[in-house]
Amino acid sequence: MFLTLQDNDKRPIYQQIADGIKALIARGNLPEGTTLPSVRQVAADLGINLNTVAVAYRQLQEEGFVAVRHGAGAVIAPRTPRVVDPAELLKPLRTALTQLILAGLSAPGIEEMVRQELALLQQKGDTR
Amino acid sequence: MNAPTTTELYIVINILVVLALVYSLVKFAWNHPLRHGPGYFLNVEVPAGFYEGPGKSWLGGYRAILVAVYAALAVALGACFALGRLDATPLWLGGWALLYVPALVVFQAWTRYKLGANPPVRPVALALESRRLGDYISWPLEALLATAIASSWWMLLGPGGTQSDWLNAVQLTWFALGLLPARIAAVRSTNPLPVERTEEHYRYQDATRRIAVSVLSALAWYLVAILFGMGLRHAWSPARTVTILQWFIRGGALAFGGYCIVLMFHGQRRLASMGRDLRPAGSWSTPFRRAPWIGISRPYLIWFAIWFGILLVLIVYSLFR
Repeated sequence: MFLTLQDNDKRPIYQQIADGIKALIARGNLPEGTTLPSVRQVAADLGINLNTVAVAYRQLQEEGFVAVRHGAGAVIAPRTPRVVDPAELLKPLRTALTQLILAGLSAPGIEEMVRQELALLQQKGDTR
Repeated sequence: MNAPTTTELYIVINILVVLALVYSLVKFAWNHPLRHGPGYFLNVEVPAGFYEGPGKSWLGGYRAILVAVYAALAVALGACFALGRLDATPLWLGGWALLYVPALVVFQAWTRYKLGANPPVRPVALALESRRLGDYISWPLEALLATAIASSWWMLLGPGGTQSDWLNAVQLTWFALGLLPARIAAVRSTNPLPVERTEEHYRYQDATRRIAVSVLSALAWYLVAILFGMGLRHAWSPARTVTILQWFIRGGALAFGGYCIVLMFHGQRRLASMGRDLRPAGSWSTPFRRAPWIGISRPYLIWFAIWFGILLVLIVYSLFR
């Protein structure tokens, strides 16, 4: 299982790692119980600071995607429906929709884009 | 049938080592810059048609260095034979390695400086699979190795019928013990994975680690077999008097040495076939780090310098004491 990190991505590295792992969980590529590589290994593989990876893992842990078990490291947590305030979930959606409208996309264009992204996320077996 | 003498053993070892070095030159070192295909020279990406143009002289320069280093080896070997110092194998082999490795490192640095000073930045892939030392290193076998070393010293330090060559025993022990950190370094070594043919690059890196660990383990067993043989000869009189036992003890050590050489060449062949057309680590930078020169971290390099330095001092001291 591989995660791709682009050279033109403006997000902080820890965010790219956390978002990438979340996307793989959403697609079902990282099932419950999968052990993630250690912070040291990820830092060495990417040539980045240990703290950067630790921040990404901590974020995943705080959001309930990953459980840190003593001796086993970071493990993908069970996918139980998370109790999140619907208003909280709408915030990033509204931000993204605003950006798309300001970029000049039409409503059908945005709907098509959302459908494609959703299909991509639901596509199992995709390693990217 | 007589027991093998030390001189006969050194003749066999010298012949084996020379054959291995010549085979390595012909089969691997000669075309080493092309091991990732015609798109690369050593670890640097080169334009199409490079080998019809300036690549010819670059390849010629590389091969000239190889010939010079191997000529120095032939002179050193000839001198040892002429002086009757067949036991100087560690010295000429170590001295040759000291010439060979820096010569190639300097040439590679020069190549990188002239041909690929600014490698392109490309997206990078991250493997989400755990790598643990236990996946590569067998701890029960390591414990057995440590037990064999401890038993050898227990026999050597006890009463016995031979004059123990302490310096030789210390050399062998230091050499063998130092190979465990070397194996750990091999497992921990890592290079960025490109987003194209990621799986193949991942498997290539994994094979590199496994081959390095198996060769270093076989080398450690070879050294410990010699040490154990010394202990046995010292502490157990049949090991000094029964011919078949002497053959067994010395032949066993040589078998480990031969196995190590076979593993090394088999591994090199496998890596050569796996690595064809794959992007070498030094030919590109990731968004987060520059193209690596070598895939070993600084602490391990410092450790290597200390380990190899002390080993060299022990070898040179043993020859001139």
